[in-house]
Amino acid sequence: MENRPLEYDYTVTKMFMFTTILLGIVGMLIGVILAFQLAFPGVNLFLGEGLAEYTNFSRLRPLHTDAVIFGFTLSGIFATWYYVGQRVLKVSMAESKLLMFLGKLHFWLYLVTVAAVVVSLFAGVTTSKEYAEFEWPIDIAIVVVWVLFGLGIFGLIGIRREKSLYISVWYYIATFLGIAMLYLFNNMEIPTMLASAPDGSHVGGNWYHSISMYAGTNDALVQWWYGHNAVAFGFTVPIVAMIYYFLPKESGQAIYSYKLSLLSFWGLMFLYLWAGGHHLLYSTVPDWVQTMGSIFSVILILPSWGSAINMLLTMKGEWQQVAASPLIKFMILASTFYMFSTLEGPIQAIKSVNAIAHFTDWIVGHVHDGVLGWVGFMIMAALFHMAPRVFKREIYSKSLMTTQFWIQTLGVVLYFTSMWIAGITQGMMWRAHDEFGNLAYSFIDTVTVLHPYYTIRGVGGLLYLVGFLMFAYNIYKTMSARPVEESELQSASPMGA
Amino acid sequence: MFHWLEKHPFFFSVGVFLVIAFAGLVEILPSFAQASRPVIGTKPYSILETTGRQIYIKNSCNACHSQLIRPFKSETDRYGHYSLSGEYAYDRPFLWGSKRTGPDLMRVGNYRTTDWHENHMKDPAGVVPGSVMPAYRWMYTNIADIPTAYAEQLTNAQFFSVPYNEPIPMKDGTTEVVKMGNNVTQAHAMALAEAKEIAADMKDQNVKDAVARGEIPEIVALIAYLNSLK
Amino acid sequence: MNKLYLWGIIITIIMFAATFYTLVITAGDSGKGLSEILSNDIINSLAIAGAITLVIITVFVVIKYVRQMQTDTAQGQLIDEQWDGIGEYLNEIPKGWGIAFILTMVWGMWYFTIGYPLNAYSQIGEYNEDSAVHNAKFESKYSAITGDRLVDMGKSVFLAECKVCHGLNADGIDGKAADLNVRIEEKTVKFAIENGSNNHLLGSEMPMPDRNGLFNSNTGALITDAEIDIVSKYVANGMSGAGEDVFMGTCAACHGEDGKGMEYVAPSVATFTPELVTNILNHGKKGSIGQMPAFERLNAKQKEAVGAYVTDLSK
Ligand code: HEC
Ligand code: HEC
Ligand code: HEC
Ligand code: HEM
Ligand code: HEM
Ligand SMILES: [Ca+2]
Ligand SMILES: [Ca+2]
Ligand SMILES: [Cu+2]
Repeated sequence: MENRPLEYDYTVTKMFMFTTILLGIVGMLIGVILAFQLAFPGVNLFLGEGLAEYTNFSRLRPLHTDAVIFGFTLSGIFATWYYVGQRVLKVSMAESKLLMFLGKLHFWLYLVTVAAVVVSLFAGVTTSKEYAEFEWPIDIAIVVVWVLFGLGIFGLIGIRREKSLYISVWYYIATFLGIAMLYLFNNMEIPTMLASAPDGSHVGGNWYHSISMYAGTNDALVQWWYGHNAVAFGFTVPIVAMIYYFLPKESGQAIYSYKLSLLSFWGLMFLYLWAGGHHLLYSTVPDWVQTMGSIFSVILILPSWGSAINMLLTMKGEWQQVAASPLIKFMILASTFYMFSTLEGPIQAIKSVNAIAHFTDWIVGHVHDGVLGWVGFMIMAALFHMAPRVFKREIYSKSLMTTQFWIQTLGVVLYFTSMWIAGITQGMMWRAHDEFGNLAYSFIDTVTVLHPYYTIRGVGGLLYLVGFLMFAYNIYKTMSARPVEESELQSASPMGA
Repeated sequence: MFHWLEKHPFFFSVGVFLVIAFAGLVEILPSFAQASRPVIGTKPYSILETTGRQIYIKNSCNACHSQLIRPFKSETDRYGHYSLSGEYAYDRPFLWGSKRTGPDLMRVGNYRTTDWHENHMKDPAGVVPGSVMPAYRWMYTNIADIPTAYAEQLTNAQFFSVPYNEPIPMKDGTTEVVKMGNNVTQAHAMALAEAKEIAADMKDQNVKDAVARGEIPEIVALIAYLNSLK
Repeated sequence: MNKLYLWGIIITIIMFAATFYTLVITAGDSGKGLSEILSNDIINSLAIAGAITLVIITVFVVIKYVRQMQTDTAQGQLIDEQWDGIGEYLNEIPKGWGIAFILTMVWGMWYFTIGYPLNAYSQIGEYNEDSAVHNAKFESKYSAITGDRLVDMGKSVFLAECKVCHGLNADGIDGKAADLNVRIEEKTVKFAIENGSNNHLLGSEMPMPDRNGLFNSNTGALITDAEIDIVSKYVANGMSGAGEDVFMGTCAACHGEDGKGMEYVAPSVATFTPELVTNILNHGKKGSIGQMPAFERLNAKQKEAVGAYVTDLSK
């Protein structure tokens, strides 16, 4: 092995860091708008009556979910892959013109696809399937983007110097394979332009429209096999990949236990796919599939917690680092929220609990303590760690970072406690019968009661967004902060006051 | 063994793939044949209903409304009989939703009516004080897209053998036929005939005028779809 | 005590308070106590138990590991390799975790191969049982409900089912549905006279003729526009004011002199009766205002009750 460090090439990483931040802002801004639309329906008209078709809650909601999943989170995954991949495989993108070209192509095609998605969702072109709203032309573009990502992964692996794969790489590979399989099967659809009129005349209609290959219950089964695992391979697996690299790297600590990593990884891979049935409890899918969904969700706690515990134990004896570094705070809290949501999920997956939780805001709360506390915190931490290395400058402001940490933590807490109350209240009100055996509440009673919690959630979300803007500003200013020496970049990231 | 895999990325990836693909094979495939048969009384969507369903999807009503009545007393009291798998046989895509910001709509056609929807979609809070549902006023002027709906009907008939123009058994022992046009002009005429019946129960003069002119505003198609949910 | 535990306890208490508070809200108007809400519906108790378990386990397990950050030190044998400077210890897995993993796996296998098949659970079966219990509980209670209690029960149905169209105060929300505080509105009477009426108001198909079939026996001619106006006002006014003569001459033959209707001939236009409302709920009603849907999912007693409530409203 060489002594001189490799000159890693972060061109593609930088590009994806940019979209991570941009699409993060867009997605979360829309999230805040959605939150206030539910608290104050007048906000549906925030750009006036004339544009209400494009600014109302239902048109914007898929934009929010897709912007934060396929925009913010995916960009973060790509950015970190092109960073982490080089370093743990000990090869530089600069060593292969082809990989460099594919990486850039990956980025630009990705950007074009994102633009197409935004336009199509604003126009109301959607197939309605959650997290898979896109019509087939966009599906094809996504597949191409994904294949390019795969080439980026296996290309780098192909020319690696480090013989065995680091834990993070396992998780990136799994992300690639998992999403590829799931996305393809869930998006089997027939373009309606393939049909012909009985008398042979021209039909017309939108060329991009399609219908699902599956109908009804089957469609639901495939959708939630996908939907659940899109969470698994989009919000869990790649984020675990990140924390396995960035936490030990930033803290300079060795991973607590290889064995624990190993068992957690293979356990997670095997168990996750079975659990999709928990989105379909009490539905018309067969009882046994639902039961499998519940059982496997409960077992899933262990491999999920395994990774989180491994991370917490990696910091054993390092409390002074946690106390001193906001960057490490982000990651420790991310692990904590990961544990919270991977225990909350299984509890909500128990049939009797799901009877209350399903269809309510408790699920939305579960979603956001995962995505805000775990995914969001981890991606921001990753970018904070990468920024000094990528720009060769210290992080602009540590105090800004600390303030951001507390603002966002408060935001997440407000978000999930309010949705916790809202969801359980609503779930119980729907079920309540009065002394005469009649329904105790009409539906609207269960809506108006939520107003205060929707407002609190809006405030929580706003705080999180403000924190994210501080993050964006901090990264932006980093680009012109004090230059740093190579030696300062060994572990803890250099930060300005 | 695992450490060996970690040094051989190809076999590692194959291993991961097999492990993750396994569950799908076991859970999904066996259920397929069983769930797809329609129950007695389930009809394919007419041309105007199909149009309305597309408008429902276009506006992501499923973001707030489910179409799945779970077998609980409280839900059957509120929404009617719990859902049966066969009732969804013609639903491509399915529209169960995953969040009830608003009520379930699986059988809303049983207990809400054209004029109510007309008022409600225009100004939900005006009808139901405290409602957080957005108003959908542009639907009263946007013209519905019949050709795309017709193409969807044709796709259903040609690729999935959905029984248009064929007798369909009803609960009371009779049969009904859902007609589908031979070409897009016929389809439009059929949609218009349905639209006239809906418009007759509506008050909005612009909508009535449009239908009289032979145009079909989106709201008319949407109401046709909502009324068909039973 | 360590600050951490204090925080853990504070967070736990806050979440408990939040959860408790949800029970208070739910109890709200349903006229029930907290314990009743939990004990009547096992699902509620389980959800609350789940929520509480979630908080306690997460908070205290995390605190356990954070304590290790504070007091323990990292040690163990390192793996030979390093990746970008990251090492790995060859430490054993935490025992508790390992045991829990094995136990859950064993439980899962047991549940799927033995527990579940032997249990023979069916969600529809469970539904049928629950409904039977619910119905039995109220079947016995229902027969005892009469008079004011029946009106109360009707109000409870009304608030759950009808207010969406007729409004909280049953005023029809600016003419979007019928105003049920009065027996009948002028425009509804007029519409019935002009177009006839065929809404199963008597439970059977017994139509009322339209204006081309309505003779005023006082004048010996078909009813005129002016007469329609005046008699509509008379009926809508609760059978008072001008127009009595037209009513007597044209309508009383069927609806009775007092407008209270005659069995098998015509319904009451002077007052609501539970039977009238029940018929409307069974068949729906299409009129000048719009369409009122039929309500199959209410049972007979609920219809009777809401009929009593509506009748009471318009008194
Ligand atoms: C922001 C959430 C939201 C969206 C989006 C939304 N709704 Fe609603 N909807 C509600 C709420 C809340 C209610 C209950 C209060 C009321 O009746 O307005 C409701 C009620 C309804 C009802 C009455 C059902 C009943 O049983 O009373 C219908 C029908 C309906 N919505 C149709 C639609 C359609 C069609 C769309 C899309 C074009 C839509 N909604 C979009 C929230 C929403
Ligand atoms: C031949 C008998 C007959 C005569 C005469 C008659 N009605 Fe009726 N009326 C009926 C019947 C039968 C119904 C119930 C029809 C139905 O089921 O919808 C009815 C219904 C009505 C209703 C509708 C009640 C409701 O709640 O919607 C009104 C109002 C009414 N009559 C008013 C009048 C007035 C005013 C006159 C005289 C101008 C009149 N009727 C003359 C037989 C008659
Ligand atoms: C979807 C809306 C809707 C719902 C829900 C609804 N109604 Fe109505 N109802 C109407 C409309 C519209 C009319 C007026 C019909 C007309 O005369 O044009 C009406 C008329 C009536 C009438 C007849 C008034 C008359 O003068 O003849 C009665 C009684 C009534 N409703 C009772 C109820 C009760 C009781 C419930 C609940 C169990 C209920 N309604 C639920 C829309 C509704
Ligand atoms: C052990 C791990 C987990 C289990 C067993 C689990 C279980 C569940 C359950 C039961 C639901 C509700 C389904 C319903 O009733 O509608 C759900 C929804 C959801 N969860 Fe999790 N969860 C887990 C971890 C996570 C994590 C870590 C995240 C994100 C970071 C996450 C994101 C989501 C999302 C986005 C939804 C909403 C899906 C929808 O649109 O309905 N979950 N999860
Ligand atoms: C500023 C922060 C955010 C706010 C205020 C916010 C707000 C919202 C709102 C209001 C909804 C709709 C809930 C409903 O229909 O009732 C929603 C849904 C959702 N959001 Fe966010 N969001 C934020 C950030 C994020 C982030 C960062 C992610 C992912 C990385 C995310 C992922 C999701 C998902 C997956 C759903 C769908 C949940 C479901 O269907 O159950 N959100 N969000
Ligand atoms: Ca698609
Ligand atoms: Ca959802
Ligand atoms: Cu899931």
